[in-house]
Amino acid sequence: MATEKSERFDQVDWNDLSRSGRFDLSVNSLGMLLTTIPLALLGVYDWQFLGERTPTFEFIGLEQNLETLDFFFIFTLFLAFWYLVLPLYQNPRMTRYYWKEFRRNRPAVVSLGWLGVVFVGGIVGPLILNAPQQDLLIAYQPPVFTSVADTTPATCVGEVMNGRCYGTWQHPLGTTGGGKDVFTMIVYGMTISMQIGFITTTIVATIGITFGTLSAYSGGWVDEIMMRFVDIILSFPTFLMFLLILYIYGAGLGMFIVVFSLFAWGGTARYIRSKSLSISEEEFIKASRISGASTYQVIRGHVVPNAASSIITQLTLLIPGFLLAEAQLAFLGVGDSTVPSWGQLIATGRSDLSFAPWIVLAPGIVLFLTILAFNFLGDALLDALNPEAEAENG
Amino acid sequence: MGFGRYVSARVLWAAVVSLIIVTVTFLLLSAAPNPAVRRAATQAALQGGDPAEAAERVRELRGLDEPLYVRYMDFLRNVYTLDWGWSVSTSMPVTEAVTNALYYTAQYSIPWTILTIILGPLVGVYSAANMYSWKDHAATGFAFFGYAIPNFFFGIILLLIFGVWLEWIPVIYKPEVPVFSVQNAIQLTLPVFVLVTGSIGAVMRVSRNESAEFQNADFMKTAKAKGVSPLRAYAYHVMRPTLVPLSTTLVGQLLALFLGASLLVEVVFGIPGLGRLTYNALIQQDTNLVLGTTLFFTFVAVIGNLIEDLVFTVLDPRISYDDR
Repeated sequence: MATEKSERFDQVDWNDLSRSGRFDLSVNSLGMLLTTIPLALLGVYDWQFLGERTPTFEFIGLEQNLETLDFFFIFTLFLAFWYLVLPLYQNPRMTRYYWKEFRRNRPAVVSLGWLGVVFVGGIVGPLILNAPQQDLLIAYQPPVFTSVADTTPATCVGEVMNGRCYGTWQHPLGTTGGGKDVFTMIVYGMTISMQIGFITTTIVATIGITFGTLSAYSGGWVDEIMMRFVDIILSFPTFLMFLLILYIYGAGLGMFIVVFSLFAWGGTARYIRSKSLSISEEEFIKASRISGASTYQVIRGHVVPNAASSIITQLTLLIPGFLLAEAQLAFLGVGDSTVPSWGQLIATGRSDLSFAPWIVLAPGIVLFLTILAFNFLGDALLDALNPEAEAENG
Repeated sequence: MGFGRYVSARVLWAAVVSLIIVTVTFLLLSAAPNPAVRRAATQAALQGGDPAEAAERVRELRGLDEPLYVRYMDFLRNVYTLDWGWSVSTSMPVTEAVTNALYYTAQYSIPWTILTIILGPLVGVYSAANMYSWKDHAATGFAFFGYAIPNFFFGIILLLIFGVWLEWIPVIYKPEVPVFSVQNAIQLTLPVFVLVTGSIGAVMRVSRNESAEFQNADFMKTAKAKGVSPLRAYAYHVMRPTLVPLSTTLVGQLLALFLGASLLVEVVFGIPGLGRLTYNALIQQDTNLVLGTTLFFTFVAVIGNLIEDLVFTVLDPRISYDDR
């Protein structure tokens, strides 16, 4: 997506376009660089100069600490902002067109709204809400508007009527057996889900695009070997291999993200390869080649933008798989137990299911809705970004 | 390339893939400290012995002091001759433990697979025939629901409703019930239902979208004009071409579910099948059994992919073998 694209032919500033110095940066790259450098410096500072348990922001008196994963997460957020959101703002005409196409699919609009809630909740929530605290006295509080027999909770926070304990707005979704607030835990789980979604997609897209274009442009036996490698990656039973790795080495959330994204880029690479092969036959590629575009410029300026819509769709449909896998591992009790994910909450509540079903139901429904939203969104993006596919889906 | 050569090349490729996966597994295992050695060292230290010496003895006993390539060849030979060692937690050979568990896994996997294969395309084509009617919307809604709801969560909820609250089905799975009995059918209903809901969605979607294409094809118009009954027209002219592209996604979908979700479903419903065996082996640190079950699942995946490719070329003769 070239940034300074004029809407009309006669308005094109050719001097601007012919600027082809290697070190001229677009606004996007400049912004990316300006935001990444402080982040990287902060990361190095945190890693080199601070003790294991010192919060990152102690020097300005904040208790907030950042883990390695958080740094990557913030990095991917910057990436998404400068190369996904900003280009949409820079191309208002295309944005309006996409939105018009997208709006026709009503479930997808609702899904986007829900994912927006999860996204904002995941980023802002932990800053506003305090981490859930263990408090056995207020264990098993029912959600608001519901009631349980007053023998279930140790003490009832809300009012007790006719031997039944009623839920309060203090704990809108009730509390767990340890007295932790379910709503707060779900908000904290949003952060984890967003981290999984953003970091995995970044890794998958980076490896997939690099590998696919390299394979297409190498050609010959290099291409053959690289594509066979993709075959292996695609037929690798990731979940089981991760269980094995978990068994042998033990693994946290970071390891989970790395392993699952390292085995998920096969489809993207395959797609990019076939797209680069077919596009290199097009006339406009020949034209840009004759005008002296390098292979890198062709890939950056033509192959990736043309494949972007399908890649974004593919990635959107990959994320629910990762979320599900994380929840499954957490439920089995072999996931990272220090991470407050939704699956972890489901696993905690499982033994109390018969008398305190909200502990399992609330995070389960949130997980279900999120997976559903990603699926709807992927479906709608397929139609909005790629009008050719519509003919097939009829 | 002829068909025969294609098949042999594809089989050879499957063998190579399995070899690579086994090699990766071996490397993973040999790079990590062996739990048996660690246990022996801890025990020796507790009993006042020399931990280093005990560890050395166990290493020698298990052949861990041999060079890497000797151990690798041994490992390969054992894996491919099905000599998978002794499982400590079940006190039987790993192969026997796997076969025993397979007996229970098959009891729910076979009905589940058959139901998905039969119902999925049927509902998909039906919903394409009534496109954009309320039936189509209902089917699509169901497909998305089944696709998106996490299997283990769905299982827990159904178990809570029908097992705990309504008491229609037993909460605890009884492995001693005869295979073909009403009791067994009742206790397997929920797991099969959960798995079918999970797998049928994708099949339905694919067959709906694929068959939409043939809905208004010229041969359908001809068939209708000739007065062919709708049932026959759909069965012969829509269903058949739909099944070809469907077969590519079907095996992959089922395999993915079999590998991931069956493990969870077995844990939720307490079925002593392969998934539960893997889980118990993980919990009880039974290395041989963990290895055996993962390798078994891996081989199933490799063979499944192989069959999928072969079936696809048999069904659609237009596919050139050189493209693969």
